[in-house]
Amino acid sequence: MSLLTTMIMKRLLVSVLVLLVVSLLIFAATLLLPGDPARAILGQQATPERVAALTEQLGLDRPAWERYLSWLGGVLTGDLGFSAATQGPVSELLGGRIAASALLLVLTALISTPVALALGTWAATRRGTRTDSALSGASLVLAALPEFVIGVLLVILFATSVLQILPSVTIARPGEPVWARPEQLVLPVLTLALVVIPYVVRMTRATLSEALDAGFVEMARLKGLPERTVLVRHAVPHTIGPVAQVLALQLAWLAGGVVVVEFLFRYPGVGQALIDAVANRDVQVVQAITLIIAAFYVLVNLAADVAGILADPRIRHASGGGA
Amino acid sequence: MSAPAVPAGLLRRTFRRRQARIGAVLTLVVVAVALLGPVLGPLLTGYGVDDFAGRPFRPDGVAGTDDLGRDVLTRFLAGGGPVLLYALAATAIGIVGGAIAGMLAGYSAGDRTSRLDSLIMRGGDVLLSFPQLVLALLAVAVLGSSGWLLVLVIGITHIPRVARVARQATLSVAGQDYVLAARMYGVPRRRILATEVLPNITGPLMVELGLRLTYSIGYVASLSFLGLGVQPPAADWGLQINENRIALIVTPWGVLLPVLAIAVLTVGTNMITDALAKESADTTGEAPA
Amino acid sequence: MISTTAGNSTPAASISRRRLLAGAAGLGAVVLLAGCGGTAAARDAGPPRRGGVLRVGVTGGGASDTLDPHSPATNPDIARTLSLYEPLLHWDDAYTLQPAVAEMVRPEPGARAWTATIRAGITFHDGRPVTPDDVVATFRRITDPDDPKSGASQFGILDDVVVAGDRQVRFELTEPSPVFDQYLAEYSCGIVPADFDLARPVGTGAFRAESFTPGQQSAFGRHEGYWRPDQPWVDRLELINFSEDDARINALLSGQVDAIDQVPLSLTEVVGSYSQIRLLTSQTGAWLPITMRVDVEPFDDVRVRQALRLIAGRGEMVNQVLSGLGAPAVDLYARFDPDYLDPQREQELERARELLSAAGRPNLSLELVTSPIQAGTVEAAQVYTTQARAAGVEIGLRRVDTSTFFSDQYLQWEFAQSFWNTRNYLPQASQSSMPDAPFNETHWDDAEYQAVVRRARSEVDGGIRAQLVRQAQQIEFDRGGYLIWGFPDRVDAHQTYVGGLVPNRTGLSLSGYEFRKAWVAA
Repeated sequence: MSLLTTMIMKRLLVSVLVLLVVSLLIFAATLLLPGDPARAILGQQATPERVAALTEQLGLDRPAWERYLSWLGGVLTGDLGFSAATQGPVSELLGGRIAASALLLVLTALISTPVALALGTWAATRRGTRTDSALSGASLVLAALPEFVIGVLLVILFATSVLQILPSVTIARPGEPVWARPEQLVLPVLTLALVVIPYVVRMTRATLSEALDAGFVEMARLKGLPERTVLVRHAVPHTIGPVAQVLALQLAWLAGGVVVVEFLFRYPGVGQALIDAVANRDVQVVQAITLIIAAFYVLVNLAADVAGILADPRIRHASGGGA
Repeated sequence: MSAPAVPAGLLRRTFRRRQARIGAVLTLVVVAVALLGPVLGPLLTGYGVDDFAGRPFRPDGVAGTDDLGRDVLTRFLAGGGPVLLYALAATAIGIVGGAIAGMLAGYSAGDRTSRLDSLIMRGGDVLLSFPQLVLALLAVAVLGSSGWLLVLVIGITHIPRVARVARQATLSVAGQDYVLAARMYGVPRRRILATEVLPNITGPLMVELGLRLTYSIGYVASLSFLGLGVQPPAADWGLQINENRIALIVTPWGVLLPVLAIAVLTVGTNMITDALAKESADTTGEAPA
Repeated sequence: MISTTAGNSTPAASISRRRLLAGAAGLGAVVLLAGCGGTAAARDAGPPRRGGVLRVGVTGGGASDTLDPHSPATNPDIARTLSLYEPLLHWDDAYTLQPAVAEMVRPEPGARAWTATIRAGITFHDGRPVTPDDVVATFRRITDPDDPKSGASQFGILDDVVVAGDRQVRFELTEPSPVFDQYLAEYSCGIVPADFDLARPVGTGAFRAESFTPGQQSAFGRHEGYWRPDQPWVDRLELINFSEDDARINALLSGQVDAIDQVPLSLTEVVGSYSQIRLLTSQTGAWLPITMRVDVEPFDDVRVRQALRLIAGRGEMVNQVLSGLGAPAVDLYARFDPDYLDPQREQELERARELLSAAGRPNLSLELVTSPIQAGTVEAAQVYTTQARAAGVEIGLRRVDTSTFFSDQYLQWEFAQSFWNTRNYLPQASQSSMPDAPFNETHWDDAEYQAVVRRARSEVDGGIRAQLVRQAQQIEFDRGGYLIWGFPDRVDAHQTYVGGLVPNRTGLSLSGYEFRKAWVAA
């Protein structure tokens, strides 16, 4: 096995182990909950017989490790538990919401990646100019703002107080997919994009600047190649690794940021479901969603590291030449 | 190497930068509002924090009334305390915990008989596999919402992030002659870390401090905005935004004032942090993480 | 057969031009046109008109939504129940009893038995006539000892229901009850066929079921054989769940729905400022009490209870919590009962302090459990807490979520809140103030009071009964466990082109959710 594959396999194994510990942690957290889960699920309809029946059905009379294993087994087979608030399976509650949240993430990534890369490259080629400092000033300001602050400011600008051209909440009727009204996606996606873009711009600018100052780029310039070719052929390839890593990390960040943004825009995704579930202490839903988000987070971080490994010239070289 | 001079010198040099000075002014303005507001508010507006000034969501007074008919300006002036206090406390937990964990890990990294390094860093990896906000939500779901729980959770989630930086910085210091010498003379680990290592990693730690403070402000405000942080009837900026956003069209100030305050505060702290990072990088010749 | 998914149900054929225009205009106008009026021309509903579709946004609902006529829980459940089914009698907009499936309900002398006469020619959605057997089966279903429905508790005195003629049904009671007809008018007593099956929800209501997706929406078609002439006016009714206030309001403003229930009272002015929207404001007998358990310290001391009642600034609470849209209350419910006592009680902080000192609790500190169980409860708790501070009483708020509130601790909270809809005095007392009441939140257990209420419940003479009802109210006023500060108005909203919806006292939204009365202009 080459060094490259070994490293990636190792990294993969670590991710699997981390996920396992994460699932243990999430499960253990719910053991701290006061009160009887069966009673909580039944609420006003909690007669002693029904509590007893549900306790048995949920296996609450079994030891904790047995419950953990069956919960984990359920998660792996798509059975995410039972929601006390909606009185239905969690998977049913989350089905459409995962798609809706994924849509937000994908749209944000599709829009913010090219914009951020272009801005970062542009700033790097104009280092020291006014546009460069204006851009880095703006990204410094944006990077500082919590996502809900950006979201509220956008609502004030485009939906209520200044202009009234975009919806400030998701207005889809229940049962209608969110993409049926594309205009309601604009503000949530814009908010997320504005949070993500500054980091990627700064990273792109920094790594590209470094590459542009490097000897091999000087060499290319001395050979008389046009600046554009120097940039595209020689400088940019060297920035792919670090920038890909930052991109992946930003995507991972989105998994958390989406929670606040969905709440703000009443967007029917997993994030809003998580807030509702926390407010209602709907534990099995909280368990399921935190696990999903953590899994996504771990996977994207894994992708970032793999991108880093692949892009590292030393490892590439070692694995390719065997030296 | 005169270790204790580093932080003072770094700070002085940082505040020679215009960016840091602007950041400091922005931060101080908001801090002043938060500290003096509770006293000034009633004097300026004539209403107490919980007084009813009129019916809900009316344009009465300077900035209108809130969802219960209380004076928005008074509530705004009184509402900065919790955010600042909780954010500072969470940052302190994160920096202290992270610095200790990171230094221990970095210091024992060279020691092949000690598993401390991998133990600390792998434990951190587990915490790092949750977005910070999501972990806080999990804690609220299980334990209910209370101010100090939020401080604790946000602080704890900072620890592995700070620890990574502290470990990296410690690694570069641990190999230095003066540390090796102290080790040879059998100086206890605690003393070495406190007197030899810590003073020499303050640069990166200061940058982390600023960064974590900025994030803490954001998280505390976000959780209150989500209705899971500070609970009514307390006056708090995040909560105030949540309570009044439904009437954004009629009484925008109930949302705008706290949003602007949080924005100015986080931008201010981030500008200082950025200047610190640049100065620290220039000093040590290392790129900021 | 109705489908349980909305996806494959085809919309009604008539998507009018108006609908298309309104939809298109709405997209750009979402969120606010406040103040700019005139863009969307307000069209009047005009005279009653047959045809069209009525789309209504209803608050609440969830995956446990049901079409069960006898166990409605959420607002959408109640709206569906009132569309599909009808009880023997019903409460009209003025909160007076009117015949529905029965054309007449009469007590026998002594009121130990009542006879209902089924309306001639009335039919179920499937065309079959309503028979006495159906009525008997309905009440057997409600009071089924193995699976009692939500209306069952009030039929504790119902001994048996028997067929008493071609169109007659006789209700035999275990004790005399001169107000038994009021129980028959609850919306959870809709008459269904003897072979009722939830998969085929047939009733006599103005609309028949077409599709139903729990937690999302339901659609209904016109019941062509409905007994009221002309009604229902519309061909199709759609009920859409909106749990969030702003989503529901925006759906109305953007023209996605024709009417919504429950505009948050603090936002009525904003919503009302749109020229294409009409507000529908109803006085109600609904109440949002603070509950004190009279069997635990310190509320077991009547002086403490009275002091806490004297602390409440009722006018201020109505202003701050309800934006002035409501009436102050004086710790008594059933304001629309003909025998409502209507006494006076003002805020008296000095007197409250004296009472607390006399009770040996000059520096009282309490914890009030609050929860967003109804719009205004959390706000009311906050305002009351503020008022209490002025009287030297420190109240800490413990905010819990709704499911925690209604968990095993419900009915055990010592100092908490509740909400109730309009009822007359005796039926309400049977629900909340008697030892056998299913929801005796204050653990109110007063021998004198119970004797008076029991006598009143079986007193046939109207004059004497009125006397007893007033006496019972006086006792609750003097030493009860409820702190009742106000009766909130109900504010709903609809597009100007919707006609026929009128103010309604029942506490239910949009003309008591009786959409048969509504029409839409062409």
